Amino acid sequence: MRLELFNTTASRLSVVYTLLVTLAVGITLGSAYLLTESLITDEVDLIIDTELKSLEDKFARSGVPGVTDEINLRIDSWGRIGAVYMLTDANFERISGNVAHWPFDGMPSEAWPEFDIATIEPGRRAVHPVRAAVRTLPDGDLLLVGTDISQGRRFAEKFRFATLAGIGLSTLVAAIAGFWFSYRLARRVGEVTRTCQRILAGESGRRLPLAGANDEFDALAASVNRVLERLEEQAGTLRATFDSTAHDLRAPLQRLRGRLDALLLRSPPLEAAAHESIEAALREVDHLQRTLATLLQIALAESGTALAAPAAVDVGELAAELVELFEPVAAAQGLTLDCRHEQAAIVQGNRQLLAQLLTNLIENGLKYVPAGGRIEVAVRRLADRVSLVVSDNGPGIAAADRSRAGQPFVRFGSAGEGSGLGLSLAAAIARLHRGRLALESNEPGLKVVVELPS
Amino acid sequence: MHVLLIEDDTEAASLLLRGLHASGYTVEHAADGREGLDKALQLPFDLIITDRMLPQLDGLTLIERLRARGSATPVLVLSALGSVDDRIRGLKAGGDDYLTKPFAFAELLARIEALLRRAPGAAQSTRLKVEDLEFDLLERRVTRGGRELDLTAREMKLLEFLMRRAGQLVTRTMLLEGVWDLHFDPQSNLIDVHISRLRQAIDRGSDHPLIHTVRGSGYVLRSDS
Repeated sequence: MRLELFNTTASRLSVVYTLLVTLAVGITLGSAYLLTESLITDEVDLIIDTELKSLEDKFARSGVPGVTDEINLRIDSWGRIGAVYMLTDANFERISGNVAHWPFDGMPSEAWPEFDIATIEPGRRAVHPVRAAVRTLPDGDLLLVGTDISQGRRFAEKFRFATLAGIGLSTLVAAIAGFWFSYRLARRVGEVTRTCQRILAGESGRRLPLAGANDEFDALAASVNRVLERLEEQAGTLRATFDSTAHDLRAPLQRLRGRLDALLLRSPPLEAAAHESIEAALREVDHLQRTLATLLQIALAESGTALAAPAAVDVGELAAELVELFEPVAAAQGLTLDCRHEQAAIVQGNRQLLAQLLTNLIENGLKYVPAGGRIEVAVRRLADRVSLVVSDNGPGIAAADRSRAGQPFVRFGSAGEGSGLGLSLAAAIARLHRGRLALESNEPGLKVVVELPS
Repeated sequence: MHVLLIEDDTEAASLLLRGLHASGYTVEHAADGREGLDKALQLPFDLIITDRMLPQLDGLTLIERLRARGSATPVLVLSALGSVDDRIRGLKAGGDDYLTKPFAFAELLARIEALLRRAPGAAQSTRLKVEDLEFDLLERRVTRGGRELDLTAREMKLLEFLMRRAGQLVTRTMLLEGVWDLHFDPQSNLIDVHISRLRQAIDRGSDHPLIHTVRGSGYVLRSDS
């Protein structure tokens, strides 16, 4: 499993972070822009209002000629401050001012109408936006005063550009920073994941790397390493316990065997009846020894210790070999035993243990399927695992018992030969290979389904 | 034949000593690993049998030290640790064979014999012959009295194993390990059935059967009856 950079918590967080930065910068710069723009407009409006008031005063004192004189006086200032004046009669016919024609269609409806004015400046024609106000004088004439607002417009445009560029830049910086952090985060989490997977795969001595940064990642890695250390210690203790238990149980069996063997080798030889009894006793020792070996193997497999030195095992090939080994025995019992397997059904594991698993399943069939029956071993390669199915048309196992198949030390069928241990061991071996074993009905018969990750 | 037995379990050791003496071996006994290593280095032995878990010096370390000193004496490891990993570790350390306790004395004898008779260079021969049974290893052709026998690949492997050890006792466990590479004992009488099939193919209609059953122990392939 590879950690995709764009599919991590870190990268999702960095996207959210980038969006938040964009929003915050956008609100700040946007409101600054709107505030500034309205301040500029208010300033212009105030100037226009003041001009209108002074011209209205002039009209009150000296009528149309006074206003015309005043306008002519002030017109000079167009070049400097871009002031626009116009006095018309009630029919919008120009009396005086620096605008050639009434710029509106009749009386403008809004309080601060805007229009464009074309001017001939040295060498070029230019169009200037003008913001204006209109007053009706007491005699019905119309007075228009306006100001060139191209400066303000240009300023607003620059401000808008700066605002957008600022938002864009900060988004870019936030995105790069977020990407960088999430990349670093993904890399470190990825290292931890990979190391854990290798430990699970059997490299129990491996530890998480410390970056030396003394950050929370190092703290986490150090804690995980301590946990691993303790697990390894416990596995070691467990192993030692198994070893000494195995030794303590096998040593007396060895002495028992030795004594019985010595009796058989005695000269003069024992009488036939005694010989028979000793051979029967030896068979019991063999049986005891096999049960003990199975129990120890189950306990070891169930103890959670990792598989030592796993290697590639072709389960299909192994199944074919074992079926070939068991086929004559099956034939002698009047059973059909055959194998269907796909090529290269490879599993990382222990060949001997997997052979033991298969052997136990086949022997289970040999034990319970009556003559004339059929046992079939099928190995298939699936996407990420190998499926191994041993099915028969024997008496099967009751549904209630089947569900307990995965549990360790659960015995199936009649207690007689203690064959239940065989299935328990098979299940334990499957679990040791990080796989699972399930019992199903073959309708009729038993179907043992083992799945092992490849 | 001189055999060194390194075993700390005194009762098991005395039983083995008696059995080995009775089978015609001269046996020296050491009760711990250090004593065993000293003796192994001082005296020439044909075979060393050592327990795996020993006081003073562990059996596997003993073998490693022995091999480090250049000794090529065959070593048979006896162990109460029967798991697959233990076996692999035992053989990796330089052991030549590995026997899990408890074992039948006949099994031990058969393995001792196999190790002692393991002649270097015998593996090179391309043709095996026992009486009128001939096995051409290159062409994978088996004939009995000139008549070609029809054997499966596995039967040939089984026959080759027996012929290479002609005259020696071969146990069922040795066959499972050597022919099928299985290091555990299935419960069924598997090997007997395979041997009887092979016997059918080889000895049928012949006055001189070559494959003989040794009661309670295993099989031997040899010319005399």
